[in-house]
Order: sequence, then structure tokens, then C-alpha cells
Amino acid sequence: MPSTYFTAPPQWHWLIILYFFVGGIAGGSYFLAVLFDLFGRITDRPLGRLGYLIAFPLVVLCGLLLTVDLGRPERFWHMLIQSGTWRPMLKAYSPMSVGAWGLLGFGFFSFLSFLGAIGDAERSRWPRLRVLRPPRMLGALVAIVGAFFALFISGYTGVLLAVTNRPIWSDTPLLGLTFLVSSASTSAALLTLLGWRRRWAATGLHALANFDRLVLVFEFIALIALIVSLGSIAQVWLNAWGALLVLGVMVAGILIPLALHSRARVLSGVAVPVAAVLILAGGFLLRVVIVLSSEAV
Amino acid sequence: MAEPMGFFTDTTVCIGCKACEVACKEWNQLPATNGGRNTLSGNSYDNTRRLDGIHWRHVKFIEQFTPDRAEGRWLLMSDVCKHCVRAGCLEVCPTGAIFRTEFDTVVIQSDVCNGCRDCIAGCPFGVIDMNPVSGTAQKCTLCYDRMRASLEPACAKACPTDSINFGTIRELRAMAEKRVGQLQAAGEKRAYLYGADEKMLGGLNSFFLLVDRPEVYGLPPDPQIPSRNLKPSSAWSLLAAVAVGFMGIVSFRNRGGRPHA
Amino acid sequence: MGTRLGRGAATFFYRNMEESDCVVVMGSNMAECHPVAFRWPMKARVNGAKLIHVDPRFTRTSAMCDLYAPIRAGSDIAFLGGLVNYVLNSQRWNTDSFFKEYVLNYTNAATIVNADFKDTEDLDGVFSGLVQYSEKIKEWPYNGFVGQYENKSWQYAGTEAESRGWTAATQRSGEQGVGDHDRGTGQKPTTSPGASPAPPQAVPHGPPFEPLVHSMLKPPPLQDRTLQNAGTVFQVVKRHFARYTPEMVEQTTGCPKETFLKVAETILANSGRDRTTSFAYAVAWTQHTNGPQVIGCCALLQLLLGNIGRPGGGIMALRGHASIQGSTDVPTLYHSIHGYMSHPTAQKKHDTLADWLSAETVARGYWANTPKFMVSYLKSMYGDAATVENDFGYAWHPKIIGDHSHLPMFVAMNDGRVKGMLCIGQNPATSLNASVERKGLRQLEWLVVKDNWLTETAAFWQTAPEVKSGQVKPADIKTEVFFFPSAQVAEYEGSFTNTFRMLQWHFKAADPPADCRSDLWFTHQLAKRLKKLYANSTAKRDEGFKNLTWDFDPDPAREGAGGRQAVTGEPESHKILREINGYYTGDPNRHLAAFADLKDDGSTTCASWIYCGVFPAPDKNLATNRTADPPGTRGAQLGWGYSWPANRRIMYNRASADPRGRPWSERKKWIWWDGRKWTGLDVPDFAATKPPTAAAKADGIGLDAQSGTDPFIMKTDGKAWLFVPTGLVDGPLPAHYEPMESPIKNPFYKQQSSPVLKYWKRDDNPVAALGDTRFPFVITTYRLTEHYLAGAMSRWNPWLTELQPEFFIELSPELAAEKGIRNLDWVKVSSPRAVVRGKALVTRRLRPFRINGQTVHQVGMPWHWGYQGLSTGDAGNELTALVGDPNVTIHEGKAFVCNVEKA
Ligand SMILES: Nc1nc2c(c(=O)[nH]1)N[C@H]1C(S)=C(S)[C@@H](COP(=O)(O)OP(=O)(O)OC[C@H]3O[C@@H](n4cnc5c(=O)[nH]c(N)nc54)[C@H](O)[C@@H]3O)O[C@H]1N2
Ligand SMILES: Nc1nc2c(c(=O)[nH]1)N[C@H]1C(S)=C(S)[C@@H](COP(=O)(O)OP(=O)(O)OC[C@H]3O[C@@H](n4cnc5c(=O)[nH]c(N)nc54)[C@H](O)[C@@H]3O)O[C@H]1N2
Ligand code: SF4
Ligand code: SF4
Ligand code: SF4
Ligand code: SF4
Ligand code: SF4
Ligand SMILES: [Mo]
Repeated sequence: MPSTYFTAPPQWHWLIILYFFVGGIAGGSYFLAVLFDLFGRITDRPLGRLGYLIAFPLVVLCGLLLTVDLGRPERFWHMLIQSGTWRPMLKAYSPMSVGAWGLLGFGFFSFLSFLGAIGDAERSRWPRLRVLRPPRMLGALVAIVGAFFALFISGYTGVLLAVTNRPIWSDTPLLGLTFLVSSASTSAALLTLLGWRRRWAATGLHALANFDRLVLVFEFIALIALIVSLGSIAQVWLNAWGALLVLGVMVAGILIPLALHSRARVLSGVAVPVAAVLILAGGFLLRVVIVLSSEAV
Repeated sequence: MAEPMGFFTDTTVCIGCKACEVACKEWNQLPATNGGRNTLSGNSYDNTRRLDGIHWRHVKFIEQFTPDRAEGRWLLMSDVCKHCVRAGCLEVCPTGAIFRTEFDTVVIQSDVCNGCRDCIAGCPFGVIDMNPVSGTAQKCTLCYDRMRASLEPACAKACPTDSINFGTIRELRAMAEKRVGQLQAAGEKRAYLYGADEKMLGGLNSFFLLVDRPEVYGLPPDPQIPSRNLKPSSAWSLLAAVAVGFMGIVSFRNRGGRPHA
Repeated sequence: MGTRLGRGAATFFYRNMEESDCVVVMGSNMAECHPVAFRWPMKARVNGAKLIHVDPRFTRTSAMCDLYAPIRAGSDIAFLGGLVNYVLNSQRWNTDSFFKEYVLNYTNAATIVNADFKDTEDLDGVFSGLVQYSEKIKEWPYNGFVGQYENKSWQYAGTEAESRGWTAATQRSGEQGVGDHDRGTGQKPTTSPGASPAPPQAVPHGPPFEPLVHSMLKPPPLQDRTLQNAGTVFQVVKRHFARYTPEMVEQTTGCPKETFLKVAETILANSGRDRTTSFAYAVAWTQHTNGPQVIGCCALLQLLLGNIGRPGGGIMALRGHASIQGSTDVPTLYHSIHGYMSHPTAQKKHDTLADWLSAETVARGYWANTPKFMVSYLKSMYGDAATVENDFGYAWHPKIIGDHSHLPMFVAMNDGRVKGMLCIGQNPATSLNASVERKGLRQLEWLVVKDNWLTETAAFWQTAPEVKSGQVKPADIKTEVFFFPSAQVAEYEGSFTNTFRMLQWHFKAADPPADCRSDLWFTHQLAKRLKKLYANSTAKRDEGFKNLTWDFDPDPAREGAGGRQAVTGEPESHKILREINGYYTGDPNRHLAAFADLKDDGSTTCASWIYCGVFPAPDKNLATNRTADPPGTRGAQLGWGYSWPANRRIMYNRASADPRGRPWSERKKWIWWDGRKWTGLDVPDFAATKPPTAAAKADGIGLDAQSGTDPFIMKTDGKAWLFVPTGLVDGPLPAHYEPMESPIKNPFYKQQSSPVLKYWKRDDNPVAALGDTRFPFVITTYRLTEHYLAGAMSRWNPWLTELQPEFFIELSPELAAEKGIRNLDWVKVSSPRAVVRGKALVTRRLRPFRINGQTVHQVGMPWHWGYQGLSTGDAGNELTALVGDPNVTIHEGKAFVCNVEKA
């Protein structure tokens, strides 16, 4: 039997799964917002802003989820500061430690961008809010640094799982990759859903659709690679979990949406939102399967 | 740092009396499963089932009998934290609650741990689990408090047959080698040491004498530290980041329109 | 063991098992029940010794052994007899001079037995002298006899083996019955050696009692030192065991012949001049209708192998409760007074002190000193009131009228013959045939329970099954129950006597909580109140109580000594120890240093002669000794605690040297003659300066009657008895009998089970007849390391209950399959007495046996559970029967029949 079978499950359940999902979307939508900002058209702006506006509240939610999941929530800060010495607590080789700082950093930048976005959005109504809009260069800088944090947040959770001794998690190097890609697809899907049938979002949506198509293909390949990389261990998925992964995540969450996309023009208008919902559900299921199928061993 | 200390557990002289389990609970005042209203496991005489936050010692009972009883063994083994020289739990702990003591043992500080449970997944042996009372992860401390008072750990003291031997790693390894030789000479060719040398996680400061494959005792044949996955996993993620970024850029620009000034 | 070796206790100390070359654990699950003592066999094993376990189940002990021999419960004598036969016919035993030399000189092998003795060989399973029991004993109808032996024909040729009327254990046996109805028919009970002829008038009353003892000298028995005479014990033994062949062993015990032979070879190979084998047993040998015979058979084997009295050799009687040894030395036994002297009884000629002495004293061997022991004992009871004129108050001493042990007492209780009971440190409500025991409790007017927990006994009126089920209404129970919370050992000081007779003092660590009180306190206060109550009584029967000395009150100075004595009214434990150890009557501060100092004229006071010497001076309590031998050296640990007799650690250790006094071998040297005295690693269990060459004095009494080569000084002839002419009521030699309940027809003899076992015939105590198809399986009961006896001391403790949380039944997969039972299923186990429910633990550690070509399933059941405490479950003892052995009335809890069904 593989050595990972002799370890104990950490009992990471729904709160953590939810965090993985929400965190991914937070990071992803921030990242997309930045893309819109830096490479998009002027008309994409509102959609980008939407990304910033989503990211920050979701990060706050992430912090809450993680804290509540602790055995001793009142000690959440021990992740950042050594309770004994009051010195900062950081372990470069501990994904959870680095993750804690990453979340903090991302929280900070997403907050700035959040303010900026509000300023940008409402300047017509309350000119005063203009002050919130950072000078061009600074704004760009914040966005770029923030984007790196965003990518980190959407990917490190997979690395966190990998840096354990649990079956599946520690048996493949591809979890981080998969989670990151899935964050991109799910967040794109969310933005699409929110921007659906909105005039101001029209052009952006189009770009998102292209993006999503590429990412979904990438994600599909990633999942195949993931299963292959597990080798014999993949046997643990010869059960309901496996079925859920293939039918729920790969078919319903990727292939069907892809099909819908390609037919989007032909099919009735609902195709796009349906695809988006399926992608979101698929992204969530992916995390459910990865986390719980290992916990079950 | 004082000389590394630890355990040599000779499973061939363990009589399965569980005195070590009880001594540990008594010294560390650990609660009993469901207040003592436990259920029969049906798995030989093992009713505490596994190491966890309230069982820091656990005695395993492995019945090996051929259907005709021509061959028969009842393997008894008192399991405990291995106090790895390269400890997975310590590696991943984000709060620094887990530290290496002056005796080269691995201890969780209950007043620092915040119950994130990363160490549970990080331990290659499934040693750690939550203690429902403290709300923190717990495991054998190798009686750090007793050692500081230069007392022998409670479990070793209680062991009537010296299956649990406590001492400096140097002495223990010598003793263990001798015992293996003795058993080999006596015809027990299956006797070997598990975790006594650096090959396994830099050495287990609590190592064992076994007479069957590790799996039979519920021990991993090839335990690893979690950080082995850090680099590859991160690299692949980075790749993904670049790829996604690239896809983003291609699908957001060059759409014929000019980007805003 | 007493009857064969002289003292019924472990012959050596368990630390010494480290020196054994082979340890046979049989009749015990030593690793599980004596884990700390088991340390030493394990040390021996690490040093290369062979460990053997003979048990119906593969246990944690078996797991540690080189050899495991499975046998059906209740077949030990077949196995041991097989070993005896193997040894006697082995080439090695017949060629190695050591064995002959040991057996010839140190046992009664050469002694010639009465010509009219008939063996089980001749009478198909019974010995000569069997008398079917006829209800003769009127005053106490609870002895439970089914038959009895008249043992005249078992005697040595030409002379009656002198006997102490057999240590009073046998007072309950049929023998006295014989004596009685002889008396009934007017003739003097000379036929029964139990009461040897009353002292001729010529002999004056003592003190001194020496003339009386002299008058009892009988001619010494005839011998044939060539062992050729067909009448010699040796030849009798050889013939007796001839049919115990390996084939018969396999057919009876179910142990494969090859395994048995491996065991036999290993034991023989590890016995001799240079190697020793030891046996360890506990209650799996005693809890049978022929328990003492099983143990005797082991003694016989060990004697043939020369393994008694030598380092690493011997028989380790593993005792149970902490200090249970002490409670038989300073007895809570009903049939003995201190130091294994017979309790005065109405069933023998014990009318006067002289009568008692002539019945209980022997002229040869150490027991010739009995008058000194007895008189000193009476002085300890009645102090100054005990004078020469009034026979030292002998007349005041209570007498027993029959078997007052556990089983008969509860039968009497059921018949309403018992008014009240003080239950101190016992939990009978889940004891044998439990529902009958509880029925007995319901007949009491009052019951005092003094315990640390509200046991099943304390709550029998409230939570017992029959009460829960509504069959019995608490309102209808008239018994008034008083509960006294007890202190724990750490809350008072006193001494423990461990399994190898070693006294160790324990000190008080803390005060008992609330109004918990020690048993000392309780007994002391009760005695004082009773003495007050009887103070002005004029009734003759109360004189004993009035004259009883009871001065254990602490001196004002000591009261509250150490400042820890918050509890007032505790007696002074050192005063009690002093009374047990003994002192010069004139001056209580002059303690006796050794039992050699005892006098028969009242000038010495000593409650228990065997403990004399533990407290030689007011400031010298040897039980507190704590000096261990330096590590790595061979020794007897003489500086640790105090072992009776006289701090000897290996008894009969004269046998560790050859007849000429030289060690049998360098490796096994222990005690030897240095030309002037006996010296060595231990206290010699022999006259210190009696040379090996000393001859027995023809008209000498006591040790003078024994030669320098007679190691077994408690026996009249100074030799260990292979053949037991007197002292056992169920035969001079062990013979295999089936348990009272068995699915097997006795493969050895026509006689199915012991013809003289004890059985209390009652509607609520039925037994299954041979071949009763309703109960086809053999069942045995036992302990788990994780629990303690009736459970009060473990089932209340969560740290222990989580280890063994539920009552379970152990089954082999074969039986489980036959009955469609899966692991953890609930099963019903039924015996003719009751049905219990438990979970099935299906394991290959149990196995079906092939007996006479038929398959016999063995079921196992730990008996610890009950209806009180944290972990509750049915009590195994609901199933057991009121059946006992005739020598000591121990129940047959280890082998009976049952059925198992899916519940
Ligand atoms: N943990 C623990 N230790 C104890 C006790 C306890 O309750 N718990 N009780 C103490 C007391 S009071 C006593 S008396 C001792 C008893 O000590 P033991 O006599 O060793 O204990 P048991 O478990 O009664 O029986 C021992 C073994 O006898 C086997 N057996 C049953 N029938 C037979 C038979 O016919 N022949 C043979 N050869 N074996 C048989 C059983 O399978 C069992 O494994 O233990 C003492 N120590
Ligand atoms: N079927 C079957 N029946 C058996 C046996 C068997 O093997 N099989 N074994 C038999 C044997 S060997 C034995 S010894 C008996 C034991 O049977 P019991 O003696 O009836 O059972 P215990 O549980 O030992 O009861 C001792 C009680 O003393 C209490 N106690 C402890 N310390 C103290 C103290 O300091 N003072 C007082 N006053 N009380 C105290 C404990 O709480 C406990 O309730 O069972 C016998 N019954
Ligand atoms: S065994 Fe597990 S818990 Fe113990 S030190 Fe090693 S990794 Fe940590
Ligand atoms: S649970 Fe406690 S000890 Fe374990 S990793 Fe988290 S903080 Fe460290
Ligand atoms: S060393 Fe101490 S903490 Fe560790 S198992 Fe032994 S008793 Fe328990
Ligand atoms: S105390 Fe020693 S013998 Fe008993 S179970 Fe523990 S390790 Fe084994
Ligand atoms: S319970 Fe007490 S007597 Fe029994 S083995 Fe343990 S220490 Fe010895
Ligand atoms: Mo006992």
C-alpha cells in the first residue's frame, strides 16, 4: 500500500471547500479585472471594475471562513504573529504560513483597488470620490502587484494540499495548477453571469467568452493530466467520487459549457448564462471531490 | 542541545498490557473515548483503535493465524509519535506551535496551536489529531515536562517488560542492534529495525523492532516529508499562472480595437 | 503442594524465574493477569530460556512463548500425567544419575505402601476406600459431599503416616464424616488417621507438651532403596501413570501429539544438574473439582525432574488479590487459625487443648512444635486470662461445625440459616451462580457492605437483573443494607504479603476523603463496641469475647503521629504487627526474633508463628526493608521486604545441594554445606548447623527425627511426597477426571468425574448430564488485563473501560460459521443455570478440539461484568454452578458446558 494511506485526515470539510472556491473566484476576478484594466478597451472598464468590487468582499469572506474553521478561532492571528515573541510568523516552506500572508497582502491590494473602483464608478454622482482614484501610474502599480497576489491566492490552495502526506493531495504536483486554472474559468463565468444582458458589459463579455473557452480547454487537459499523474493511486476514484469528477466536473462543468459556447450564437440567448452556471458548479464540485475523496480514505 | 533522546520499542517483548496507554493518559490527564462509554471494535483486543488527540500511545493487536492454526502469531505493538528528525508536522505548522526541543524531540505547544490541522495531514504516520477538549492538535510530547525534571517518560516507566526503552539515541541504537542480532541468531530471521537510521526521515527518534513488513503494523513503508512536493507543485502552478496570464492577454487585446489611453 | 512438599505456597520468588532455563505457564494467563511479575519470565526468555504456555486459548501469554500447547479446559491432569509418564520412560531420566539421586534421597519414592492399597488402575478410576456418602453429619448439612474416601489403605506399609489430621482444609471432607459415624457406632475413630489415638493416660498434660509429642511417635515406614519392590511409591507411581501415553493425551486434551512431545522434550531437556524448569499456575488449576490434584501432579512432576528447592526451579503459585497470600497466612480462612493450624472443630476430637494437640501435632518434622505455636496463639487471643489451669482459654475458642466456605454459606443463606453478613472487600452478587447468590442476599435480615464503590452487592436490591425485570420488587426485599465507604490502601499504613510470601510495608500517603474509613478502623471500632456490649454478660458462650485481648489503641503520643492522622480512632498498626510477630509475655517490648524462640508454657505470645521474626524489635520492622541486591549479581534479594518463613526466598533449598551438601552444579549453586554450617545466597531452609552426614535419631522428635539429607522439614519423614498417604481426601495420586459438566466421556476410566466432588443439589443449581445435547460446547471463564475481577475496581474507571468497553464472548470462526454468527453480533450463551447476552468476538485464537474423534468447540468468556458502574454487562457467573472440589471447596468456574446462539 502507498505510504500516504497510513496518515490521518485533517478534517477539512465544507468551510475549507467553500474557501477554496470563493478564494479562487476572488483571486480570479481580480486578475481578470487587472487584465481588463491594462489590456482591455475603455468599454471593458465597467466589467473590470465589477471584478475589483467582487474581489475584496470575497477575500473578507475567505478570512472569516478560515477563522471559523480553526479549532481555536480566537488564535487566528498566531498565523501571522508569534504569540510568544510578538515577532512576525512566516515559514517560507509552509504553504499555509505563506498563504496566510498572501491572503493578507491580497486583502490589502484588493481593498485599494476596491476603493479605486468605487471612486471610478461613482465619480459622476459624487465628484468627491474622485480623490479615491489613484494617479494613473500608482493605480497601475497597485493593479500589477495585486494581480500577482491574486494569482497566488487562486493557486496556492492546491499547493497547500500537495504539501501534506494525504492520499491524492500529496500524490500529484498538479493540484495547484488545476485550482489556478479552475479559478480563472469560474471567475470568468461569474463575471459573465453578472454582466449578462448589461449594455455596459457587452464588449467585455465577448472577451471573457474567448478567454473562458481557452481556459476550459486548458482545464480539461489539466484534469486528464492530474488523473494520469496519480498513477495507481487514481484507483481511489473508482467510486462515486470518480463519477462525480468525470460527469460533474469534466462533462457538465467543462465539455457541455464548451459546446454551449461554440453554439452560443445559434442557440437561444440563455446558452451563455447556463454555461456560466455549469462552470461555477463544476469548479465547486472539483474542490468538493479533491478534498472529500481524500478525507474519505 | 542535550544529547538526542528517544524510544526504542521492542515489539517482540510487548505483552499488550496497555499499561503505557493508561500511564500516558494518567500523566497527561487525557480524556477517555466518550467518557469511557466506548464500543467494542471487534478488532482483536484493540478498542482505542488509533493514535489521536486523546490517545498518544496506542497498542496494536495483529492476529496472524493460518486457518488450520499450524502457524500462529499475535503481534503486539505499542505505537507512538516517532519524533522524526525531519518532522512533517513541524514543517507545515504555520503558527510555530510545533518545535524541536533540546532533547531533539518534537513537541506541540498547546497554548500556541490554533487548530488549523495542517500538521495532521503533514504527519506521515497519522500520529496527530485534535483534542476535543483543548481544541488544539495534540500528540506525544515524549513527556517533555518529565524529561525537563529528568524523569523517565510515564509510558516507559510503566512498561513491565521493557518493551519501551527510553534513553539517548546512541545507547538505544546500540541496544537495538544487539537485540536484532540476538533474535536473528535465535532463528527469528524476520527481525529488523524500523526508523533506526538516517535513511528514514533523517532517523526516527522513536524507532521500533519489527518482525513483519511495516504495513502489517500499520506503518508506512516509505514515509516522506510533505515539503518534497513544494517545489514541483509550485512550479506547475507558476506555469499555470503564466499560461492563464497569456491566454488572458491574447483574448483581451488584439481585438482590433485600440486599448484606452 | 502443601501435602506433597510441606507448605502450600509458592516454592520460590518470581524474580528468580529469571534464572529458569524453561518456564511453563499452565493454568494461568500470566502475562495478562500478572504482567509485572511476568517481567521475569520475559527476562529469562531474552536470556535464551524457553517459554511454554498450555491453555485452551491463545492469549497474550501464548504470544510471548516459544511453544503454545492448546488443551481443552479441564484436561490438565491428562496433560501433566502424560509428562510424568514421558519422563519416567525417557532414556535421559533413566540414565542421568542426577534424577535418581534427587528422587531417591529427597522424596518418598523408596517408601513402601500398604499392600491393600488399590489404585485407579485396579478399580477403574477410583482408589480403594471409597464410601458412597450417607448423610451422617447432622449439625451442618451444607458440606455438599457426594462421596468420600476412607484412606486407611493409602497408608505406608506397617505404619500410619503421621498426620496433622490434614491441615484443616480437609475438615470439610468426608473423612471426618467417616470418623463421625464410626463414633456413632461407638468404636473409636482409629480407622481415621484424622484423629490419631487420644494420648494414653500415662502421658501428663502439658506444659511441657514434649512427652505428649513423644507418645505419638510411630515406627518409621519401610523402604526399598533399590526401588525394585513393586510396593514402593516409585513403582506405584510408575504403574499409575503408565496409561498416560501421548496418544491418550491427544485424545483427552485435544493437544496434537507432536506439540505435546515438543513440550515434554523441552521440559526434560531443561531439567537436571545444570538446568532448571519452573512452572507458574494460578486459578485455572484451582477452579476445578480436582484442583489440588492438578497442582499436586505438577509437584510430582517437578520432584521427578529435581526442580524443587533449586534456583530457577520450583512452582510459582500466582496468587490473586493484593495480599491474598497474607489473608491465608493470617487467615480469613474459616478452617485455619493463624499459621495454617487447624481450626478447632466439633467434627473431630478437639474437646480439650490436649485433644486438639494430639489430633493436630505430629512427632516428626517441624510440626512437632505445634504445641508452642498453639499455646502462643492462645496467649495472643486471651492474654493474661489464658493460663495453664484453664488450658490457655482453649475452651473459649469458637469451633467450626463443617464447611463454612463461600459456596455452602450462600446455600445456607438461601435456606434462611444466616441472619446477617459483613461484606468487606468482596462482591458476591456477581459470583458463582449469581442469581442464587443474590437470592441468598435477599434472605438476610441485614447486610453491611464496606467498599470503595456502590458494587452490585450493595445495589442487589435495586439494579439486579431480576429487579429490573420486575420479577423481584425492592419493596418485598426485607434485607436492610448498610453501606460503609472504604478508604483506599494509600490512605492507611499496613503490610502486603505478595505471591511469594514476602511482606512489604506500605505507608499512608493521604487521608481518606469524607467519612471513608480503613478496614482496620472498622474492625477495631466494631470489636471495641462488641466488647462493651458483652462486658457484663454472664452467658458462657460470651466468655471468649470478654477475655479477648484487644489493645490496639494508639498510645496518646502516637495518636496523630506524623501529623497526617486526621482520622481519629484508627488502631495502631504496629501493635497489631507486634501481636502477629509475637513477644515475651512478660514484656511486650521484647519482641520475638524467630519462631525457634516460641515456648509452650505461655511465656511467649505470638498470633502467627510463621510471621515470627518480621518485627524482631520495636524499632525494627523488616517489612519496611528496601535494599536490593547490587544489579548484575545473583542473589535472593534478602534485604528487600521479609519473606516467611524466616526470610527464606527459595523454600526447601537444602535440595539445591546434593546429599553430601555440595551444589549440584556451579551454575545452579544456591545453598551448600561449608563444613561447619549451611551457607549460600539464601537463608537455609534447614537446621543451620546440621551436617549432611547427620543421621535421624530413632526416638527423636521434630527435626531430630530427620537426617541431614531430608530437605522437606515440614513433612514427617523429611521427604517430599510423590504418593500422598494422608492429607488429600480425593486420592493419594492424581487421576484424570472430567469436570462435573463435560460433553466428553472420560477416556481414561469408567469413573466420569471425581467420585468425591462437592455438589449442592438444588432446583436453582442444576447441572447438565454427560451427553446433554442442549449444551454441546465447553466453556471457560477468565480475566482480561484491562479489568479487575467483579469489576468494581475497573468498570468505574473510564481509562480502563475504554480499553475493554463491553462484555464479549470469544468464539472460533469454525463455531461461529456453524452457528451463523458474525463478529460483533449479539449472542446468547446458555448453561443449565442461566442465559447471558454478549457480543461475539470471533477469533482464530480459539480453536475447536478433536477429542476421541469428535469435534468439541471451546467457548471463552471474561467474567468481569455486572450491572453497576460505567461499563455494564451481563455477569459471566450467572452461568456457573455451585460445584466444588472436596479439599478446599473451590468452585469449578473454569470448565463447564454451554450453548451459543445468535441473539
Ligand atoms: N488484570 C487482572 N489481573 C488479575 C486479576 C484480574 O481480575 N485482572 N485477578 C487476580 C486474581 S484474584 C487472580 S486469582 C489471578 C488469576 O490469574 P489467572 O488464573 O492467570 O487468570 P484467569 O484469567 O482466571 O485464567 C487464566 C487462564 O486459564 C485458562 N484456562 C481456563 N481453563 C483452563 C484449564 O482447564 N486448564 C488450563 N491449563 N488453562 C485454563 C484461561 O483461558 C485463561 O487464559 O489474577 C490476578 N490478577
Ligand atoms: N467464573 C469465575 N468466577 C470467579 C473467578 C473466575 O476465574 N471465574 N475468580 C474467582 C477469584 S480467583 C476471585 S479472587 C474472586 C474475586 O471476587 P470478589 O473478591 O468478589 O471480586 P472483587 O471485585 O475483587 O471484590 C473486591 C471488592 O473490594 C473492594 N475494595 C478494594 N479495596 C478495598 C479496601 O481497601 N477495603 C474494602 N473494604 N474494599 C476494597 C473493591 O472495590 C471490590 O468491590 O472471584 C472468583 N470468581
Ligand atoms: S511522527 Fe508525525 S507527529 Fe511525530 S514527529 Fe514525526 S511527523 Fe511529527
Ligand atoms: S494544528 Fe496547531 S500544531 Fe497543527 S499545524 Fe496547526 S497550529 Fe500547528
Ligand atoms: S512519552 Fe509521555 S506523552 Fe509520550 S506516550 Fe509516553 S507517556 Fe505519553
Ligand atoms: S506497557 Fe509495555 S508491554 Fe504493556 S502494552 Fe505497553 S509496551 Fe507493551
Ligand atoms: S495490578 Fe498491581 S499486582 Fe497486578 S500486576 Fe499490576 S502492579 Fe502487579
Ligand atoms: Mo483470586
